[in-house]
Amino acid sequence: MSDKGQDVDLTRAKQNTGVWLVKVPKYLSQQWGKASGRGEVGKLKIANQGKTTVSFSLNEELTVVESSGETASSVRAPREHPFSMQSVGGQTLAVFTESSLDQITIEGMVVQRAECRPAVQESYVKLKKLQIEESTKPLRLSQRLEKAVTTNYKPVSNHTYNVEYEKKKKEEGKRARSDKEKVLEMLFSAFEKHQYYNIKNLVEITKQPVIYLKEILREIGVYNSRGPHKSTWELKPEYHHYQEGEEDEGTME
Amino acid sequence: MTSLGNSSSTGTEYIVRVPKNTSKRYNIMAFNAGDKVNCSTWTQARMERDMSNRRMYGEEETPEAGAGSEFGKKQREEARRKKYGIITKEFKVEDQPWLLKVNGKAGRRFKGLKKGGVTENASYYIFTQCADGAFEAFPVHGWYNFTPQAKHRTLTAEEAEEEWGRRNKVVNHFSIMLQRRLREQEHGEEEEEVAGEKGGKKKKKKGGKGGDLRIHDLEDDLEMSSDESDSSGGEDGEGKSKSKKDISSKAKAKKKKKRKGSDQEGLEDSDDGDFEGLEVDYMSDESSSEEEEPEKAKPNKGDDVPKGIDEASESEEESEEENKNEEEGKEEEEEEEGKKTPVQTEKKKKKEKESSGESDSSEDSDIEGETASALFMKKRTPPKRGGRGSAGSSRTGSRPGTPSIDNAATSNTLRAAASKLEQGKRQAATSSSDTPAAKRLKMEPSSQSPSGKSTPQPASGKSTPSSSDVQLTEDAVRRYLIRKPMTTKDLLKKFQTKRTGLSSEQTVNVLAQILKKLNPERKNINDKMHFYLTE
Repeated sequence: MSDKGQDVDLTRAKQNTGVWLVKVPKYLSQQWGKASGRGEVGKLKIANQGKTTVSFSLNEELTVVESSGETASSVRAPREHPFSMQSVGGQTLAVFTESSLDQITIEGMVVQRAECRPAVQESYVKLKKLQIEESTKPLRLSQRLEKAVTTNYKPVSNHTYNVEYEKKKKEEGKRARSDKEKVLEMLFSAFEKHQYYNIKNLVEITKQPVIYLKEILREIGVYNSRGPHKSTWELKPEYHHYQEGEEDEGTME
Repeated sequence: MTSLGNSSSTGTEYIVRVPKNTSKRYNIMAFNAGDKVNCSTWTQARMERDMSNRRMYGEEETPEAGAGSEFGKKQREEARRKKYGIITKEFKVEDQPWLLKVNGKAGRRFKGLKKGGVTENASYYIFTQCADGAFEAFPVHGWYNFTPQAKHRTLTAEEAEEEWGRRNKVVNHFSIMLQRRLREQEHGEEEEEVAGEKGGKKKKKKGGKGGDLRIHDLEDDLEMSSDESDSSGGEDGEGKSKSKKDISSKAKAKKKKKRKGSDQEGLEDSDDGDFEGLEVDYMSDESSSEEEEPEKAKPNKGDDVPKGIDEASESEEESEEENKNEEEGKEEEEEEEGKKTPVQTEKKKKKEKESSGESDSSEDSDIEGETASALFMKKRTPPKRGGRGSAGSSRTGSRPGTPSIDNAATSNTLRAAASKLEQGKRQAATSSSDTPAAKRLKMEPSSQSPSGKSTPQPASGKSTPSSSDVQLTEDAVRRYLIRKPMTTKDLLKKFQTKRTGLSSEQTVNVLAQILKKLNPERKNINDKMHFYLTE
C-alpha cells in the first residue's frame, strides 16, 4: 500500500515555469511513438513576422505509416503541421506529475494552448481514407466454411478425466468410520475456523460417511434451516465461544 | 546532442523531442479561472487520493474466518456471480478523485475529479523548453478538474428546500445561517443537529413560538418562520410533527400577512398541498405552544376584509388546525365534523343556486355546522363571513350575530341559526351589521302576511322539558313551523336521532303526533308539501 498523502513539490510552481499544452492528432502521436534514439521527432518553427506562427514538421523517417494489409508505403503521414494557438482563458491549468514512487511534483503552469493540425495535403487525405476504411471494418466476420469442422471433438470410449476420477475413487474406497473422539476433534477444529458449515463440506473435511457424521453433529451441533446461513450446521451455543476467539472443547462423550 | 535553433530571417527552429522512458506520468490540474488560483503563492501543498468510494465496490463485510463465517462462502459467492453474470466495476485507484490541501489546515481545499475521454481520440502533450533550447513533449496521462471545497457551513438538502419555499417571504437571507448558528450554539453544539437534540429543540421551539407570537413585526415574523425552519430542519427525524409544525408556522405566518394586508403572491401550490395532509396530523399530540395560537385567532375576528372563498376556507382550516391542537380528544372530532360540514356546505353553495329546495338542505347542514361551531365558538365566524360572501350574502349578514351569542345557551344559538335560515330563504342581500333580532322582526311580519290564520297552540302537551334543542318537543316543532314553512323531511332533519336519543322510528312517530296536535297549515311549495304555523 503506497502512502498517497504526499507533500507536493512546489519548486517549479514557485518559479512560474511555463509550458505549452498541445493537442496532437492520434496518428501523429503514434508516429512519435516510433521515434528512435533520443526521441527526436521533428522540428518546431516559430516565425515572428507580424503574427506569430508556429509550425511543426515531422521528420522524414517518421512519416512511414504502418497500416495493416496492403499498400503499406503508398500512404504517408503529412509532414507539415501548423499549430493553432489558443488562449488559456477560462481555466487555470497546472501540470503535475506522479512519479513511480508516488512523489507528486508540480511541473509548471500552462501558458499557451495549441492544436496541432495537419496541413491539408494529398498525403493527409489519403491517410484519412485509410483510417476510415480500417475503422469501418467490422471486428467480427462471418465466414462460410466448406467443410464441417471435425477436428475438435472425437468420440472417446471414456474420457481421460473420467478414468482418472474412477481410479481415484477406487483408491479411496468408501469412507470408514473412525473413532468418535477423533471425529469430534476434527469437527471442533473445523468449527474453530468457520462458524457455519455445509454438510457436504464437513463430509469432505472429516472423510466420514454422511449418516455417521450426521449423528455426531446432532449431538454437538444445530442445523440452521432458515436464516442467512441456510442449511448449514453450527455448533451448539454451549460449545462455542466465538467472542473470545477461543474454542472450548466442550464435554466430550 | 545539442542543437540550437537556426535562426532564419524571421523565425527560429527548435527541435522537438519525445522522451521515451519517463518514469513520471504527466497530468493536468485544471482550475476554474474564477477561483483565482495561483500556484506560485502556495507555500505548502498535500495531495492524496480520495478513497471514500472504495466501499461502493467492496463486498459486504462478512467475516471470512471465525465467528459468523461460512465455509467456502467466498467461492460460492463468486460462482453465483458468474452464473448470473453480475459484473461489478473494479475500484481503480487511478480513477479516484484527488484531494488537494493547500497551505496546511487553514488553507484551501480542492477536490479533483478525473475528466473522462481525454486520451481517447486525441493526445495532449506538454511542451516544455529545455536548457538546450529544444522542446520536449510529454504525453498527458490524465486530466483532473479541481474545484474548491466549501469550508463555510451550508444548509442540508431538507433545510434548503424549506428555505426555498420561504424565499418570497424572507427578506433577510443573511439571517438564515446566523439563526442556525445561534441555535446550535445555544444547544451546546452537539455532534449533529439531529441527534439528541430533539427534546431540547422542541422546548426551544415552544418557547420561541410563544415568544415570537407576541411580536407583530414583519421582520419578527420572518425570524420566527426562519427559526421554525431552522429548528425543524434540524429535526430530520421528526417527520410528521415537524411537517405539521412547519405547516402551522407557515399558516401562522401567512395569516399574519393577510392580516396586515400586505400584498401576497397567490398561494403557492406547495402550501395548498401542505394543508391536505393536515387532517391526518390532527391526532398527533401537539406542543403546548399551540395554545398561544387561539389568542392570535381572536384578533383575527376583527378582520372585515372580504376574502375569497379559497382564502376563507384555508383560513378556516388554519384556525381549525390551531383549535384542534389545544382541545384534544372529543373536541377535536367534533370540530372536525363542524369543520367539514362548513367546507361541504361551502362547496354546496358554490354549486347550487340560491333556490329554496336545495338551499334548504345546505342551510340545514349549515345550521348544524353552525350549532357545532357555536358550541366551541370563537374562531370560525369571522373567516366564514368572508367565505359566504359570494354564495349567500344574507348568510354572511347573519354571521356577526353568532359571535355575540357566544356564551349563550344552545337554544339561543338555535334561534340564531334558524333565523339565518329565514334570511337565506328570503335572499335578503343585506350588509353584515344586522342583528338576529332585527332580522326576526323583519321576518315575522312578512311571515304573517301569507296567511291570516294563526294557530296558537297551548304550551301544554309538551312531551319533554323545553329549552333543549335535543328534545323533540311540540314547542320546538311549533317554533320551526312559525319561522318558516317546512316539509316533514326538514323537520326530521332537525331532530336527528343522534341528538334526540330516539330511534328513527320513534322520531317519526313522535313527530307525527306533534303535527297532529299542532295541525299546521299546508302549502305546496315546489311541489312539496310544507307545513307552517302563524301566530
